[in-house]
Amino acid sequence: MCDEAILPRRHFLRQAGGGFGAVALAWMEARAQEKSHFVPRARRVIHVFALGGMSHVDTFDFKPELIRHDGQALSGKGKVDTFFGKPGNLLKSPFEFRQHGGSGLWVSDLLPSIASVADELCVVRSMLTKNNNHTPATFLMDSGFTMSGFPSMGSWVSYGLGSETEDLPAFVVLPDPRGEPAGGSANWSAGFLPAAHQGVAFSTRTAEPVKDLAPPAGDDPAARAAGLGLIDAINREDAARSGGDSALAARLRSYELAARMQIRVPEAADLSNESEETRRLYGLDRKDSEGFGRNCLLARRLLERGVRFVQLFHGGAFGGNPRINWDAHEDVVANHRLQASSLDRPVAGLLLDLRRRGMLDDTLVLFTTEFGRTPMTEGVGTRGRDHHPHAFTSWLAGAGVRRGTAFGSSDEVGYHAVEHPVTTYDLHATVLHLLGLDHTKLTFYHNGIQRRLTDVHGHVVEGLLA
Amino acid sequence: MHALSLLLALLGQDDPEGLALFESKIRPIFVERCHSCHSAKAVKLKGGLRLDHPESILKGGDTGLAIVPGKPAESLLLKAVRQEDPDLKMPPKGEKLPDRVLADIEAWIKRGAPMPRDSTGPAGAEFWAFQAPRGPALADAGGIDRFIRAKLREKGLRPSPPADKATLLRRVTLDLTGLPPSPEELAAFLADESPGAFGKVVDRLLDSPAYGERWARHWLDVARFTETHGFEYNKLRTNAWPYRDWLIGALNADLPYDRFTRMQIAGDALEGAGPEGTIAAAFLTCGTWDEVGYKQQSVVMKARVREEDLEDIIATVSQTFLGLTVNCARCHNHKFAPITQAEYYKFKSVFEGVLPGERTVATATETSALSSADARVAETERELAAITAALRAKLRLPAGPAPVARWTFENGGQDSVGGLHAELLGGAKVEGGRLRLDGKSAHARTVPLARALQEKTLEAWVALPTRKQGGGGVITVEKGAGAEFDSIVFGERQKEKWIAGSEGFRRTRDLAALLETAGPGELVHVAAAYGADGSIQVYRNGVPYGDSYAPAPKPAAFGAAEAYVLFGMRHTGGGAAFLNGEIEEAALYDRALSAAEVAASFAAAGHRVSEEDLEAAATAEERARRTILRKTLEEARRGRAGVPPLKTAYVGTRVQPAVTHRLVRGDVEKPGEAVAAGGLAVLGRADLGLTPDAPEAERRRRFADWVADPKNPLTARVIVNRVWRLHFGRGLVGTPNDLGPTGERPTHPELLDALALRFVEDGMSLKKLHRLIVSSETYRQSSRLDPAAAAVDAEDRLLSRFPPRRLEAEAIRDSMLFVSGRLSPERAGPSAKPFSTYNSGGSTYYSLKDGPEFDRRTVYRFNLISGKDPLLDAFDAPDPGVRTPDRRTTITPQQALVLLNDPFVHRQAEAFAARVTAESKGDLAEGVRRAHRRALGREATAEEAARSESLARTHGLKTVCWALFNAAEFLHVR
Repeated sequence: MCDEAILPRRHFLRQAGGGFGAVALAWMEARAQEKSHFVPRARRVIHVFALGGMSHVDTFDFKPELIRHDGQALSGKGKVDTFFGKPGNLLKSPFEFRQHGGSGLWVSDLLPSIASVADELCVVRSMLTKNNNHTPATFLMDSGFTMSGFPSMGSWVSYGLGSETEDLPAFVVLPDPRGEPAGGSANWSAGFLPAAHQGVAFSTRTAEPVKDLAPPAGDDPAARAAGLGLIDAINREDAARSGGDSALAARLRSYELAARMQIRVPEAADLSNESEETRRLYGLDRKDSEGFGRNCLLARRLLERGVRFVQLFHGGAFGGNPRINWDAHEDVVANHRLQASSLDRPVAGLLLDLRRRGMLDDTLVLFTTEFGRTPMTEGVGTRGRDHHPHAFTSWLAGAGVRRGTAFGSSDEVGYHAVEHPVTTYDLHATVLHLLGLDHTKLTFYHNGIQRRLTDVHGHVVEGLLA
Repeated sequence: MHALSLLLALLGQDDPEGLALFESKIRPIFVERCHSCHSAKAVKLKGGLRLDHPESILKGGDTGLAIVPGKPAESLLLKAVRQEDPDLKMPPKGEKLPDRVLADIEAWIKRGAPMPRDSTGPAGAEFWAFQAPRGPALADAGGIDRFIRAKLREKGLRPSPPADKATLLRRVTLDLTGLPPSPEELAAFLADESPGAFGKVVDRLLDSPAYGERWARHWLDVARFTETHGFEYNKLRTNAWPYRDWLIGALNADLPYDRFTRMQIAGDALEGAGPEGTIAAAFLTCGTWDEVGYKQQSVVMKARVREEDLEDIIATVSQTFLGLTVNCARCHNHKFAPITQAEYYKFKSVFEGVLPGERTVATATETSALSSADARVAETERELAAITAALRAKLRLPAGPAPVARWTFENGGQDSVGGLHAELLGGAKVEGGRLRLDGKSAHARTVPLARALQEKTLEAWVALPTRKQGGGGVITVEKGAGAEFDSIVFGERQKEKWIAGSEGFRRTRDLAALLETAGPGELVHVAAAYGADGSIQVYRNGVPYGDSYAPAPKPAAFGAAEAYVLFGMRHTGGGAAFLNGEIEEAALYDRALSAAEVAASFAAAGHRVSEEDLEAAATAEERARRTILRKTLEEARRGRAGVPPLKTAYVGTRVQPAVTHRLVRGDVEKPGEAVAAGGLAVLGRADLGLTPDAPEAERRRRFADWVADPKNPLTARVIVNRVWRLHFGRGLVGTPNDLGPTGERPTHPELLDALALRFVEDGMSLKKLHRLIVSSETYRQSSRLDPAAAAVDAEDRLLSRFPPRRLEAEAIRDSMLFVSGRLSPERAGPSAKPFSTYNSGGSTYYSLKDGPEFDRRTVYRFNLISGKDPLLDAFDAPDPGVRTPDRRTTITPQQALVLLNDPFVHRQAEAFAARVTAESKGDLAEGVRRAHRRALGREATAEEAARSESLARTHGLKTVCWALFNAAEFLHVR
């Protein structure tokens, strides 16, 4: 069994002629085939994941009929079967909706900054999902399966396209500074793909953005330098003795790359050189948006330096009081206002910053949640909304995406996705398509099945493409 | 060659995209929409057309060719599915195929109808893996070498010379125990020049307890063992470790593999297996658990969550033991193997009664000690109660109606009338004659009902510490793990009110009654009577509570053996199902009590008579008897208190499930025909002689026998292949969980069969198999790369050298601990917890920490789904909860970062340096030599020794030790 060297592809392309073992070469060729199936529109992705279930009827999916039927019972939607099993009456959105920009997209006053960049957005108002429970629905949006153990979208993209840089991981995750999502690293697992494709979570709270990047405190630099020399000598002799074992050559190379990561990662994570104006753009000047704003700014810096896929979680554990996510069971006003205050400015700032740097031309921004919220209250007479899988909203922006558009629609109260329903599989197929990957061909054999991000489903949604 | 085969051979074999189109779009449509009439499985084949084999697809049917490759316009099939001709409309029933599908079919025909040549439809029974292994068994290890050499000769290759002794010792020691050899072991082996020297080493290693530790870890990968639930809560499973210890013990004891298999599928159902069997069967449920999904209110979503879980069990069992992906037949017949959708549901029926959760694991002695102590208390209580009843009658005090079961909670969950004893679970306690329930997880569950119940009355005396609670059940009868239940529930739909709860509120109405007024600790009498006419009446303190209502013409039926009684929990898996309170007494009646009887029952308890009055009414004889009985009772209770409580472990629970139905397209809302548990027809003996309602345990017992039967063509091959893979880094079949048509073909089919036959002949002894393999010259040859051989066989699949490989993450960590002298000798028991936990919003999070107190072998570390160890993670340790039959071996910069910087590595390097310094009494040159010997299992060369010594002189020995941990040689077996 040969060891697989999971090193950036460019390295192999350079080394291919130069005495690398036949095994590594064969591996490289097999993988190179999987690179772009056709011309990509996007080269990199930012995925903002609003955890907890952002309400579509209170943000991007304006429903005048809900105003008309406020307080009335829901009817004509078949058997109502909600997560907490106590559906109340219809509740009009407590937020004001207005049309924005040249496109006239409807956005509520909950998200004024994002509304100001409405012309960048391609809003999908006909999303639907298979599960009404946070973690399985999050897994589904993330990996195409409701169970854990499947590679997340970022891992698939890393596997399919590799990294554009040798010095940083291909897939970086930035958890919400308020807390990690439930299940922690299970959300950015590489599943059965080689471990190198898993998301590397950067911490914006500790001095060291990534674990084991720096030597332990008190390590003597002179001894370390001497030791590194010894390691190099030992492994070089070993490789020479082996008569051309490719795994040993790859291990030597892994030390060179590690040394570069040790320099490049802290540099990328250091926001101190960003201008005051930029910091304000991302909301770093305000307490409520500072934490998530830092992550959005860091995301841009990582993409600039060649990271392929950055996933930003907005929201942590699902329970708790007050909740640190969009799970507005008790009161949609209090909950969504609190969440929006930390998300709105940074996300809008990110779009503006990417646009003015020209990065939006080849960067795809994906904004999702795991499901929507019921047009009815949860329990009679409350102001909360329960989980709702049958219709919700996501949006895309940037490379290859139709700007200033609303695609698909839900019914008159936002209960069912009716026009052009878009499943999580369709969304994934479209994201891969924009990256130049055919979702039916990006496969990996595992326990009898050529696995895909899209399971056995998914169609590219042409209507989202520019 | 047959003309059709020839045509087939020409079609699309160099058109991988066309083949992909066929496999992903065309074949699935044929299977889903056409096979019911047009395949070998059709009850009545229509039009003589079969669409299940490339050959028959090309052959066409009674009306001629169905497709003309390259010519869509001339293809009848396309005409039929387009429904252009009213006489030829396909499919005849149901919806017309969508336009997208029609376009796919057209495109496929246009491409020339590419189809695979060898993999026909689903493969047939003639596929190699479904045939019994054949050929002669291996006489000895030399037999292995003959098979290997024959293949090498075909390619003009030769085996390599034997490995040198030091390399061989390090190889076999790491391979069998996961730890490197000690310098003493090395010296002894080098000195032993007898012909049996290697055999002695192998025996010593197989006898070492480290063997079981090493190989149990391999099995845990396949069993997808996790010690946190995963999903939203990701709670810690502090008592999942007994399964790991059972595995280690079973492997060390060389438990025959057929028994090993039976134990893990049905250990709790095997005669005489005892608690070990219950623990072994944790295999079924040791993966993840979506606790929130099981407990939510949406009926459909909950059913889907359960289906996912059952698929996980079916996938794990069929891949682990049979090397087949039966799970691929959940929504339709298996596309590549002869496995029908109905057979998937036969498997599902086998495991339908298996649920996640904790259970008591106790020996027969422990259980019987407890039950005889309970019986003694109950008997005495019964006799005392009889005398008291007689005295009450004498005093003309009212007596209540007679229940079929009564729980007084004087002493555990004993039923003082019949045998419906309850087990205390989730922290429930019996104290002061009451069942104490914490409202969080505490509850009690009885054994299954001995007789079916329809008409019934539930009754209890209960005290609530607070009325600010909702959803908790006092007393419940349920079946199907909450699929149907009747329960007396407090405050669920309306605050501070009682209702008769039921699944989906099907038999529940809000009651026009007063809010509960009882203060903290005040006893309330509640009852619910379910009449034969479907009527339901709730009572509080002996009087009707709200009006009687009849939600259905009949009451719900709770069958014997399937239903049971719960206390303190509304139903299994319910959200906010737990009652915060104390139950003084409860009773179950097999009929609906009348209002008068409920009143009498309330009064009987309400009219507590004083001890003095009773004594006064008693005869001298009765008085004497009462005194003796009271004393006996006191002793019996003391005795009962002295019996240690039964241990619980996360081994899964069991219920007698409802009958399993095939689900049309796997949809929980579309049940098809009823299905009985059974095996796979293609493997033979598939009918297990079970009816759809067979007892749960019997299903698994017979299924386990079917799997473990030596006649099963796959079971022995699959395990032999796994063991081979772990010795050589690659299986004879490269896909160890998949020997079916989607898996790889064996590189050495005859060898695989010969090993499988020999394995059965050897009584399925794994240790004999190891011995056979490692004794072969193939295993003992050098791993040195020969460029000429590599040019022919780059991956060394034919084994012209021993394939060197990197150690697994655990072996790297354990090796560091071993050479540093820090490896804790502590074996077995609860897992080491090198982390702290914190809770946020209901979810558990894990912060890792390092420290000498966690220096146990890695197999004894907690397997966390998140919060993974950087070293284990970087070196490809799989996510717990994921079936990993074939770990990947990667080389990444993250590995270098961990080896260079992780505090654990530095701590071990420090300890390693201190150890060799002590051993060499400060002689630095000797220290350096010892460090090499320990870390690399060989002597340092003069050059290595000189270089390291000079470095150590300036920077200390620790730096040398740290460098050795970074040596590729340390990380590999060669």
